[in-house]
Amino acid sequence: MAQITIDGETYEVGDGLTILEALDQLGVLMNEVELPHYCWHPKLSVDGSCRLCQVEIEGVPKLQIACNTPVRDGMVIHTKSERVEQARRGVMELLLLNHPLDCPICDQAGECKLQDYAFDYGVKHARTDLPRRPAKKGFELGPTIVFDQERCILCRRCVRFCREVSQTGELGVFQRGERSLLETFPGAELDNPYSMNVADICPVGALTTKDFRFKVRVWFLDDVPSICNQCGRGCNINASRSNNRVYRFVPRRNDAVNQTWICDHGRMSYKGLTEGRCTEARVGSRRVNYDEAVSTAGDRLRSAIDAKRPIVVVASPFASNEDLFVLQRLIGDLGCEPGTFAIERGDSDALLIRADKCPNAEGARALGFLESDAAVGEAAIALVLGRVAPERLVNVETQVQLVSHEADISVSADVVLPVRSHAEYLGSFTNFERRAQRFSPFLEPCFEAWSFGDALTEIARAAKVLGWEQPFDVIRVSRELAQAVPAFAGLDLESLPAEGAPLR
Amino acid sequence: MQTEPYTKLYLSEHYGNEAFRTLAGYEAAGGFQGLRAALARDPEEVTELVKSSGLRGRGGAGFNAGLKWSFMPKGDERMKVLVCNGDESEPGSFKDRMIMQQGPFQILEGLLIAAWATGARRSYIYIRGEYQYPIQCVRKAVAEMYDKGYLGRDVFGEPGFEHDIVVHSGAGAYICGEETGLLESLEGKKGQPRKKPPFPAQHGAFGLPTTVNNIETFAHVPYILSRGVEWFRGFGTEKSPGTTLFGVSGHVERPGLFELPLGTPLREVIAKAGGVRNNRALKAVIPGGMSMPVLTPSDLDVPMAEEFLSERGTHLGTGGVMVMDDTTCMARVACVISYFFRDESCGQCTQCREGTGWIHKLCERIEAGRGRPRDLELLESVPALMEGHTICAFADAAAWPIKGLLRHFRSDFECHISEGSCPFPESFEL
Repeated sequence: MAQITIDGETYEVGDGLTILEALDQLGVLMNEVELPHYCWHPKLSVDGSCRLCQVEIEGVPKLQIACNTPVRDGMVIHTKSERVEQARRGVMELLLLNHPLDCPICDQAGECKLQDYAFDYGVKHARTDLPRRPAKKGFELGPTIVFDQERCILCRRCVRFCREVSQTGELGVFQRGERSLLETFPGAELDNPYSMNVADICPVGALTTKDFRFKVRVWFLDDVPSICNQCGRGCNINASRSNNRVYRFVPRRNDAVNQTWICDHGRMSYKGLTEGRCTEARVGSRRVNYDEAVSTAGDRLRSAIDAKRPIVVVASPFASNEDLFVLQRLIGDLGCEPGTFAIERGDSDALLIRADKCPNAEGARALGFLESDAAVGEAAIALVLGRVAPERLVNVETQVQLVSHEADISVSADVVLPVRSHAEYLGSFTNFERRAQRFSPFLEPCFEAWSFGDALTEIARAAKVLGWEQPFDVIRVSRELAQAVPAFAGLDLESLPAEGAPLR
Repeated sequence: MQTEPYTKLYLSEHYGNEAFRTLAGYEAAGGFQGLRAALARDPEEVTELVKSSGLRGRGGAGFNAGLKWSFMPKGDERMKVLVCNGDESEPGSFKDRMIMQQGPFQILEGLLIAAWATGARRSYIYIRGEYQYPIQCVRKAVAEMYDKGYLGRDVFGEPGFEHDIVVHSGAGAYICGEETGLLESLEGKKGQPRKKPPFPAQHGAFGLPTTVNNIETFAHVPYILSRGVEWFRGFGTEKSPGTTLFGVSGHVERPGLFELPLGTPLREVIAKAGGVRNNRALKAVIPGGMSMPVLTPSDLDVPMAEEFLSERGTHLGTGGVMVMDDTTCMARVACVISYFFRDESCGQCTQCREGTGWIHKLCERIEAGRGRPRDLELLESVPALMEGHTICAFADAAAWPIKGLLRHFRSDFECHISEGSCPFPESFEL
C-alpha cells in the first residue's frame, strides 16, 4: 500500500496503480476528487494524449498526467493549483478551437463531457476568429453508429475499444497533426456485436447510435438500474425512461460481471419489452378478464387436487428467484413431481455473450428445478411459466400458461394469463456465475398483468390451497427465500447490494 | 554533393577517402582499435569510461551518452537492444548523412562498443526513408562486416559476444526522429511518440530494454576508447567535450559541414562558412536546427555548446546553424517554421495537434498582411499553452522558435499587421 495526499486529503492506495486508477478503485474519482479526463477510461489501455488530467506533484518540476503516473508512497498531489487550472483551461480552449459548437443540434448535449468540462474548467469566450476546420457530419460508420467528425476530439477511446475489447479493430486515426481524422479502415465498417459501446464511451457527440439519436433529450430521462435478461451473463444496465417509455439501455458498470459494456443484442432488447406483448387473459379462445382467468385456473387446479390426479409444473429460466421460490413452494404443497425448465441455446463468445439465452437458469437450478426438455408425464393440469415447446405437454389435459408475449402462447393452452416482463416488477436473477442481482421496475404495465409469483399465488388462493391465503409480496417472499434456502442466505432483495452478490 | 567537411578533426579525418568506406580501408586507418580496447575491459568499465568522457548525445537533447547506457537494466533476462537514430529530420541538419556515407564503420564500431558495454544482442539502425544513398552505404558496410565474420557470433573473437545489426528504412516523418516515435515506426506502427513511463530502457523496441543514440554519438565512441578520455576532453568545453559536425546553411558564402570543437564561437563557425553572403549584414541565426530559438548579431561571440546557448534561451540542438541576412523577413520565417510543425505534428496530444495549427494560421494571416493587432498577443500566448504539456518535446520544438522570433523581431510582425505588406522586398519567396 502507498499513502498519497491529494489536495490535503490522504488516501491509502494499492501499489503499482496510476493516480487515476487508484482514485477509480477508491470510488472517489469525479465525486470527491475532481480530476477531469477524456482519453482515460477504466477498462481501456492508457493513451495519455488528451492531457486534461495533468496534476502538480510536489518535487516534480513539470505537470504530470494522472492517467500514466504511478503512485508513490508519500506522493503529494495538487489538482486545484493555479498551474493545473491554467493547463486545463489551455486544453479546453484548444479542444474547442475547431469544435463546431453545435450543441443545440447535437444529441450528446446534456451528457457531453466537452460541454460539462468547458463549463466547469474552460474559458467562457473564444479567442479565435479563424474559420473552424470542416469535416464530415452525420456519416454512418456501420449499421449502428453515426459519426460526426467535426465533434471528435481524437481521444481514441473508440479505437482502443475496437482493438482491445471487441478485438475487431475497425477504427483508426488517419493522417496526422491537425488533419488527424477518426475513420474506419478502408473497406471496413464498424460492425461487431459490441459496436454501440463506442457511443457510450465517446465523451462528446461524435459517435451516437442510430437507434437513440434524436429520440429524446437526455435531461428528460431518468435511469433505473436493471439487469439484461438476454443471456446468462446478466449484464448490469440502466434503463433510461421518460413518460413510461424506455428509450435505451446503457451498460451500468459492474467489474465482476460486464465491466462497462453490453452487447448490441442486449442493448436493443428494450424494444421487445413493449412489442408483441400478451395483453389479455384467455380461457380457451375466449378473451376474459383477469379475475375470470384466475378463478378458472383455480377451479381446474382444485378439481385435480380433489381428484388426486397428477399436477405438473414447467418453470421458466426467465422468472425471478422470488417467482421460482413461490413456484417451488407450491410444488411442495401440491405434492407434485419436481418442476423442470428448458433452456434455449445460441451463440456465445469470450467477452460477454453466453450460450444460455435466459437470465436465471442458475437460479432455477439453485432452487431445485431440473433442466429438461422431455415431455412431462400424464397430468390433469400443468402450470406453465413462459414459453414451452408444445410436444412437452402432449400428455396434459389442461394447460394454464403464464406468458408475457403473444408469441410465447402455446397453441394448446387452455387458460392464458398475461404476466409482467422483468421491466415491470421487482426481483432478482442469478447469473451463470451464481451471482444474484436485483432488477427494479422501470415501466408501468399498460394492461392488467401480474408477475409470475403474483399470478401463481392468486391461482393457489383461488384453488384454496392450504397455507396460500396471503397475497404475494415480493419483499416478504425474498426474506422467506433467504431464510429457507441456504444458497440465498442474506440475499433478500433489501440486503442485496447494487452490484449483486454470489450465492452462498 | 559535399564528400568531406570543409574543416576536419578526428571524426571526419578520413572523409572523402574512398578506402575509408571499405572495411579494409577502415581497418588500415586504425579502425576497430576502440572496439578492441573496449573488449579488453569489463562492460561496466566501458560504460563508466564513456560516462566520464562527458560525451553528450548529438541528436539534439545533449544527454550524457554513458549515463544513458547505464540505464539498461542489469540482470534482466530479456534480450537488450540498441537503436541507432539516423532519422535526421530536423530542418537545417545534414551531418548524419555525411557520417553514414563517409564513415559507416565508425557507426558500426560505436554500436559494437555500446553492445559490449550494455549487453545488447541486436542493433537497429533506423534511417530516414529519403536517405536512400546513406541507407545503401550503411547496408554495404554491415554486409562487409558479416562477410568478414565481424558480426553474428563470437564478435571479434570474443567468445559469447553475439551481435546482429539490422538496417531499417523509415518512411519520412519528422516525429520518427523522436526516440519513442522511432520505436513505434520501427515496430511497423504509426510514428507516434510513447508516453513515459515506461522508458525505453525498460520497455523499448518490441518491448525489450533499449538504448537509442544518434548516429554521430555512436561515431564518436570508438575514439574515446582508442585514444582515451583525456585526449577526447582535449576538444570542446568542460561540459561539452569533443567535436561536432556543424552544418551551416542559409545566407553564407560557403554552406556545408564543418567539424569543429564544441564551444567554437558562433562568429568563427560563420566565418568558416565564408561569412554572410554578399557582405550583407547578419540578421539572425538559428543555432541548432529549426526547432531552436534564434540568436541575433549581439550573440555572435557565444560559444557553440549547450551550456552557453541555454543561457541565451536557445540550444545547440543538432548543430544545424541557419544563417539569415538582413533581407530576411522574420514574419515569413515564422510562417515557414509554423507550416513545418503544423504538418509534422503527430496529432496525439491536444496542445500540439491544435496549437501547431492555430499558430500556423495566425502566422499565415500575419504574413499575408491580413493580421489583426490581437494576433501578436495570441502568437505569444498559444505557444505557452503547448510548451511542457505534451507526451514528447515536439510541442516545445514548435513553440520555441515562434517565441524566439517574436522576442527579437516583433517589429517585423507589427509591420506586416499595420502596413498590410512585407517590409522586406528582397526576402525569400514562400
